[in-house]
Amino acid sequence: MSKEDSYSIPLGPQHPALIEPEYLKVHLDGETIIDVDINIGFMHRGIEKALQQRTYMHDRFLIEKICGICSSIHTLSYCGAVEKLAVIEIPERAKYIRMIIAELERLHSHLLWVGIAGYEIGFDTVFQLAWRDREIVMNMLEKMSGNRVSYSMNTIGGVRRDISKDMAEELRKAMDKIDARLHHYIDVFVNDSTITRRTRGTGILTGKDARRYCAVGPTARGSGISCDIRKDNPYLKYSTIDFNQITHKTLDIESRAVVRLKELLESTKIIRQCLHMMPEGSLSVKVPEIIPEGEVIYHAEAPRGEIFYYVRSDGTDKPYRVKIRTPTLANILSLKPMLKGQQLADMPVIVASIDPCFSCTDRVTLLDTKTGKTKNVDETYLKSLKRR
Amino acid sequence: MIFDILIYPGILFILASAILYSGIMRKLAARMQNRIGPPIYQVFYDIAKLTGKQGIRPVQAKPGYTMFPAIALASALTAGLLVPIYSTIISFPGDYIVIIYFLLFSSAAMFLAGYASANNFAVVGAIRGIVLILAYELPFIIAVIVPMLAFSLNSIHIFDTWLIAYYPLAAISMFLSILAKVEIPPFHIPNAHQEIVGGYTAEFTGKRLALIELTTMVKTFVLILLMICLYLGGAQNIFVLAAKSLAVLLALTVARVLFARLRIEQALRFYWLFALVAAIDLLRVIWI
Repeated sequence: MSKEDSYSIPLGPQHPALIEPEYLKVHLDGETIIDVDINIGFMHRGIEKALQQRTYMHDRFLIEKICGICSSIHTLSYCGAVEKLAVIEIPERAKYIRMIIAELERLHSHLLWVGIAGYEIGFDTVFQLAWRDREIVMNMLEKMSGNRVSYSMNTIGGVRRDISKDMAEELRKAMDKIDARLHHYIDVFVNDSTITRRTRGTGILTGKDARRYCAVGPTARGSGISCDIRKDNPYLKYSTIDFNQITHKTLDIESRAVVRLKELLESTKIIRQCLHMMPEGSLSVKVPEIIPEGEVIYHAEAPRGEIFYYVRSDGTDKPYRVKIRTPTLANILSLKPMLKGQQLADMPVIVASIDPCFSCTDRVTLLDTKTGKTKNVDETYLKSLKRR
Repeated sequence: MIFDILIYPGILFILASAILYSGIMRKLAARMQNRIGPPIYQVFYDIAKLTGKQGIRPVQAKPGYTMFPAIALASALTAGLLVPIYSTIISFPGDYIVIIYFLLFSSAAMFLAGYASANNFAVVGAIRGIVLILAYELPFIIAVIVPMLAFSLNSIHIFDTWLIAYYPLAAISMFLSILAKVEIPPFHIPNAHQEIVGGYTAEFTGKRLALIELTTMVKTFVLILLMICLYLGGAQNIFVLAAKSLAVLLALTVARVLFARLRIEQALRFYWLFALVAAIDLLRVIWI
């Protein structure tokens, strides 16, 4: 059956399986998915443009709001990029604190994903329990930074809050607790027959397809491709830390789940090492308001994959251009080979298996309905709109 | 007689306890999932609120959109009247076949209602529902007729012996088909919230949604009564009834908490394999 003969149902913009507004048009033959059209663009907020109108320090707050779940990795990359431009070396202690927060964020993001995956296959108990265990991490983050979601820990030139000795001890205890729970979840996702019935052999993404569609992060690692910015191009102090890169070769949803869960065991390992290696010292250095002219890229490993920042300065206190590429934009195309030929029942969990974060992803494409020409909004186009 | 049919142990009693049991199930499931959960009487509020809401009829809805939810509830209640609680309210030869028929028709009417709402999600849900009927109806029929044949009866009445001990496979198949009949996980396939946005209920609001919700609750309660009557030694007074029915409800809740949703073809395979197993008890009844 071809795409034209089939009937279609919409997944989104409002759909219980996806909290965020995105539109997947699914073409069906009975319950089998023939094809899927991926449409993004319901949540474009014009953040990149807004960043150009604020100073570097102000941008930090806006950047934290790009994503509710991975707010710290965004500021980490942005601050890292600006520090690179200003040629500033931040204190050693600040580097370790940044890493601890980034890994805690990975912990809570992946535990959240475990819950979502359970919810998508109609297993509410996994959802409730995984989110209960996520609270351990959330409480730690709240105690450290004062906030559960936007931690505001990173600033240009260092970090804003210290981790005290008592706090470090509490963190170690929390990591032991999390480790025990993680072993339990790995056991559940590998051995529990009611879960493996739904996750094993569904949503196959071959290594070849993953490369072709430029998948990143756990999505690519679940297809057996080794790609981890923490290993490939270590930032902060990751080169001095002993941890393993997790890949898994069964290519299905189970593979992505196992990669995420095992990765968390490495994260707790990294946090313990950071707490051990963290030297005493100051938290931040002073940064001039005017950033020297130049351009720089910075990439880091967010919970969902590689995050990419391009910052260009024209020698003023406001950035000339900030370009952000979030991991979901890289991963979303790989949904197409994953979904084709699968059952409608598996669609929500397959879509969730890339851990989509659509609000960070949206881009604008202009479509001229008369000629049918499409046009991306790029720098020259934005310039042409500028008031003279 | 009229009092028996309308109030106790008839329609009003069945409706009230069905809503109450639904509340108890929600609370139990919540406690098992490490949640606090709504208060037990919350479902009464929900139903009262739904009946007060405006019902919106979609433009493309086909004839039967309004009628089928009412038929579904009426069928479920009629089946409830035929199941003996302490003694039989209404009884006639062959009534157990009428019970099977009314319970089946109650499900079918709900799926037809979904089909009549002419929404793509609802239609997919209705198709899934019909496939699921094909799956579970065979083990259910086997489970109902085994005690009948065993005692050579032509109308249903309370069995004082615990038939579950004599025909365990049939009893288990009865329990499993209850799960699918009232769409408790792992068989909440026709109204899968994440996949097809509530399935056949997608286009229903207000009173009609209340009717559909009530139908599911009533069906759950009636099926629990049927299970007690056929396999669990019946109930001689209200305390025995409460104890036994709450035990069955607890078992249903455990299933609800413990499993992920199956795909429709997995459910079909599961029930047809199980129908074969349950048929062993049927053969034992017929030949031994």
